[in-house]
Amino acid sequence: MTTTVQAPRKPATAGRARKNRRNAGTGRFAALLLSPTVLVLALVIGYPIVSAVRLSFLVTHNGINPTTGMVENTTHVGVDNYAAIFSGDTASQFWNAFWNTTTFTVAGVFVETVLGVLMALIMNRAFRGRGLVRASVLVPWAIPTAISGLLWKWIFQSEGIANTLLHTHILWTTEGFHAWVAVLVADVWKTAPFIGLLALAGLQMIPGDVYEAAKVDGSGPWRTFWRITLPLARPALVVAVLFRMLDALRMFDLPFVLIGAHKHSVETLSTFAWYEASNLRYGSAAAYSTVLFLYIALVAFVFVKVLGADLVGRGVSGRKS
Amino acid sequence: MRRILGVVAWLVGIAFFFPVAWMVFTSLHSEQAAATNPPDVTAPLTLDGYREFFGASTGASPWPYLINSATASLVSTLLVVILAMLAGYALAIRPVRRWTDALFFFLSTKMLPAVAGLLPIYLISQRIGLLDNVWLMVVLYTAMNLPIAVWMMHSFLREVPVAILEAAALDGARLPTVLRRVILPVAAPGVAATALICFIFSWNEMLFARVLTGVVAGTAPVFLTSFVTSQGLFLSKVCAAATVISVPVLAAGFAAQNKLVQGLSLGAVK
Repeated sequence: MTTTVQAPRKPATAGRARKNRRNAGTGRFAALLLSPTVLVLALVIGYPIVSAVRLSFLVTHNGINPTTGMVENTTHVGVDNYAAIFSGDTASQFWNAFWNTTTFTVAGVFVETVLGVLMALIMNRAFRGRGLVRASVLVPWAIPTAISGLLWKWIFQSEGIANTLLHTHILWTTEGFHAWVAVLVADVWKTAPFIGLLALAGLQMIPGDVYEAAKVDGSGPWRTFWRITLPLARPALVVAVLFRMLDALRMFDLPFVLIGAHKHSVETLSTFAWYEASNLRYGSAAAYSTVLFLYIALVAFVFVKVLGADLVGRGVSGRKS
Repeated sequence: MRRILGVVAWLVGIAFFFPVAWMVFTSLHSEQAAATNPPDVTAPLTLDGYREFFGASTGASPWPYLINSATASLVSTLLVVILAMLAGYALAIRPVRRWTDALFFFLSTKMLPAVAGLLPIYLISQRIGLLDNVWLMVVLYTAMNLPIAVWMMHSFLREVPVAILEAAALDGARLPTVLRRVILPVAAPGVAATALICFIFSWNEMLFARVLTGVVAGTAPVFLTSFVTSQGLFLSKVCAAATVISVPVLAAGFAAQNKLVQGLSLGAVK
């Protein structure tokens, strides 16, 4: 960590030089302030993850030792756990989990974003009881997933509200496409408000005179939305969508609580890894988690590169010192 | 036009709030009234569900679990806010490339699937004898919320005008004073939003709590799942349990929803 504390030296006027000396001091000081956070993350997140990756490369064999004739566990380093993911019976299970993870993410984030933006557009207007409405759409987001899973299980039960309203007799929480739909609906209910809130925050930063100018130029509401509101709120939206995607790719609680463990139609990579671990196939579970992590990292990378998500304000030249 | 939008907004709000309102409504009914289908709206209200949840007839009290949840959430939130303020301050006063890379490193830990860390964490805590210990949850929740908190605090603290900091430095103010007297007032909405989000996330966390805690350190969501397994047929009792467990996060959300939007618009989206 000590290598990161040197201040960049810029040859400049005497005033600059004095400032740089001060910066070198603040650099060391900043590293000092950062160190507790880095330490906690390294110990509590970094170390377990590294050991999980290590675990994924350890292969345990259960065999008879030829010299002693005893049954022994032997361990060696190899890629067998990864090879097993893509071969034979497990391959179809893996691709199923991969497919579910992807479809949940794409469909969920798309619907949530559309709904969220609509909600933000409405909440951005002044109307009676705006605070109350804003607070009540936040409720689904704030409520524990253990409870929202329960609530939706109740709504989707055979004699439940969903079937009554739709005049259907679907067994939502059993295997099949409808289980996927049930999880998606619950997920949208839970997280669209969060996107709405972040989008609202973005909308509130658009100055009013931009809209005035558009009105003077004779721009209709539709055109104003596509040409002004959306581009100006884009940075906020991109960050919100990215955050949601990272979360959706790791989806675990909802399929688990609503439908159950190891159900084909709603199995995600996270629940599958959990299932492997709970059956004591640690190496395999670790391999799945590692693959999931690589997938998430790839999505995040592409997202940041293509849509230019400005997460840390790189584009905005920081504060001038 | 404005009136229509208001009505639409209200309808959206009600649609999202409805399932939760229904849950609270059911919790106030007797078991017989709660079980009727279609539900009887005129049935008399009662607090029996709550009495049962707090163990009126079984003697099993949910209080230890609620206290565990409160301890884990409040202490970890406090730690996160302190650590994130220091780190966010450091990143905000040194906005050079290397430090934005550091910030990106913090954010990237958000991508790690929790399931991946779970197994090693279980084995490690077993070895050092921290299984089923509420302080393990405090440490885990602190680490879990730190990345997003650092990122949020950084965005908020970037808004503190440099001139104020320089004036404070000229006056010979030391760091604790600067943090408390200069930065905290300016960044207060941000701190509130960060703390609120961390509190909600820790209160709601279930995956780690389920695997790493048991009878001693079990948190409220863990209690709820076991309560549903044993009492699942008693709708009003289960709804009462769910309502009690939601109250802290709902109260926090309602109290601070304004600050949350303000805080998020202040920094998180820039």
